[in-house]
Amino acid sequence: MARPRKFEKVAIANRGEVAVRIIRACQELGLETVLLHSTVDEGSIAFRLSDETVCIGEAPSAKSYLNIEANVQGALSAGADAIHPGFGFLSENAAFAEAVAEAGMVFIGPSPENIRLFGDKISAKTHVKKNGGPVIPGYTGADQAIWGLIKECEKIGYPVICKAAAGGGGRGLKVIRNAKEAKDAIESAQREAQSAFGSSQVFLEKYLDQAKHIEVQVFGDSSGHVHTLFERECSVQRRHQKIIEEALSPSLDEKLRREIAFVARELTERAGYRGAGTVEFLLQDGKFYFMEVNTRLQVEHPVTELVMGVDLVKAQLMTAMGQALPWPKEFTPRGHAIECRLYAEDPYKGGMPSTGRLLATDWPQGPGRRFETGFEAGDEITAFYDPMIAKVIVWDETRIRAIQKMRRTLSECVIFGVRTNIPLLQEILSHEEFLSGTMTTRFFETHFSKGLKAPELSESELKMAQQLNAQVGDAGGARGGGTNEGNPWSFGWGRE
Amino acid sequence: MRWLEVEFQGHKYRVPVTKHQGKLWFHWRGETHVLDSSHAARRTSGEKASLRSGVIAAPMPGKVTRVSVKKGDTVKSGQALVVMEAMKMEYTLEADREGKVEEVRAQAGKQVALGEVLVRVGDA
Repeated sequence: MARPRKFEKVAIANRGEVAVRIIRACQELGLETVLLHSTVDEGSIAFRLSDETVCIGEAPSAKSYLNIEANVQGALSAGADAIHPGFGFLSENAAFAEAVAEAGMVFIGPSPENIRLFGDKISAKTHVKKNGGPVIPGYTGADQAIWGLIKECEKIGYPVICKAAAGGGGRGLKVIRNAKEAKDAIESAQREAQSAFGSSQVFLEKYLDQAKHIEVQVFGDSSGHVHTLFERECSVQRRHQKIIEEALSPSLDEKLRREIAFVARELTERAGYRGAGTVEFLLQDGKFYFMEVNTRLQVEHPVTELVMGVDLVKAQLMTAMGQALPWPKEFTPRGHAIECRLYAEDPYKGGMPSTGRLLATDWPQGPGRRFETGFEAGDEITAFYDPMIAKVIVWDETRIRAIQKMRRTLSECVIFGVRTNIPLLQEILSHEEFLSGTMTTRFFETHFSKGLKAPELSESELKMAQQLNAQVGDAGGARGGGTNEGNPWSFGWGRE
Repeated sequence: MRWLEVEFQGHKYRVPVTKHQGKLWFHWRGETHVLDSSHAARRTSGEKASLRSGVIAAPMPGKVTRVSVKKGDTVKSGQALVVMEAMKMEYTLEADREGKVEEVRAQAGKQVALGEVLVRVGDA
């Protein structure tokens, strides 16, 4: 956001639910939208909702969503004068931000310098150290030879975590518990880093195994002031990917809350940060340590929006245009919000991806319930991208009420065609450690790594199912319903 | 999707149902179930047909990134055989029984389809 200026047509360089989120924010602000999409994403809500669409390449991300040239050219061809990168893909790519600016468009995000400073996890850590912030001990050297890295692991002392220098979103991340695992784990992290971020560079840190994941939402407005919108807790993670997030954290007292927010604001304000950003910390034994800064909108931004009463995507658009935000100087959080990420996966087969065509979806609306989804009946969930199909977010007056609302809401969500992790989310939401708010980042692997047992239907329930089976085949005897119902006949029923 | 009315233990319920390619999807008491509709009494979910069969098949479409065994190797149950990448994540496929590797069809760098047999483990 080097030179904020007015724009009228925003290109969205993303897909799925976040593309829908951005398109809606633009449309509400009276901005036109252009969706830059891959060939397979013509079957998505964002494609149907956007004012204009431009196909920028084939399904594999490298040929479309990660292709800088294709995105810039696509946006230019439609006459867009700004690009919103969403999250993932090119959202934290400084070269993309530069290419957008060079092409005469506004990049909706922080400056390329800020993306570089914080995007490289190693230079970010150096920045924090220099400014007196709390960091985790580790190795951030340039020497990437496998035997040297193993030696560094031993110096740090196991367990050690190996991370991609250019990483994010939990990819290219491995925990190494002993010397025996080191070689395989580091090599696997390097491979994942190379394929996900185009750089195999990794770094090592002491692994805190009783830690909570706490992150602070910051926002640099067009006057140079950095707002802090307090924290979120995202300790429920599987393979370092967040599953459930909440705002605020049940783990901080007022003193710690003020401290962590202060550190986050200092680190970003001293770098001249503009736009939405998240400073991630680990909290263990009452002390917090800097982990990384995500220079973009976060997947879990809605929980902050609900407790703070803000619209972070509109704030991004307005800041990029150089407009002031209608925000108070200090925020007062209200109530509690929880987000669950719905993944297309089979909870009874260890969370294996479940791909296919969505046959039906029904999102049970109600006060304090919010659904962010990018796909509906008839759309295909493919293996090309992240398996997240929707986010369910709830708000209520207290944490326990929000948990109860989430459990009720999830029990009413209908998704046919692919399996989802809803049964797993329900188990987590009723676990005593989650209810008490004491869960750490190891909560999931400690209690849920064995997977779920499929529920058994009783004899009488199976009889009822047979009755349903007989009835549903009889087109005349059924009562239709639902606004987004898929026609079962259009999906090749009987084609087997 | 249709909402069908059924009677269960003396009460009437409205149940969302879809039938597609021989499978009956329905949402019942807060959970989604999938049954094989040709004989709706048989569960298809959670069945572990290949359990301990020694046949390691691709559980999803994706790319094989590493094969760590060769024909003739002796393997233990739980030993890593193949690493796959799909949806940007790595998955390690493990031996579901101990024995001797009879066949290795997986090749590093190759795309594989759902259900494609990657490794066969037989009696030692």
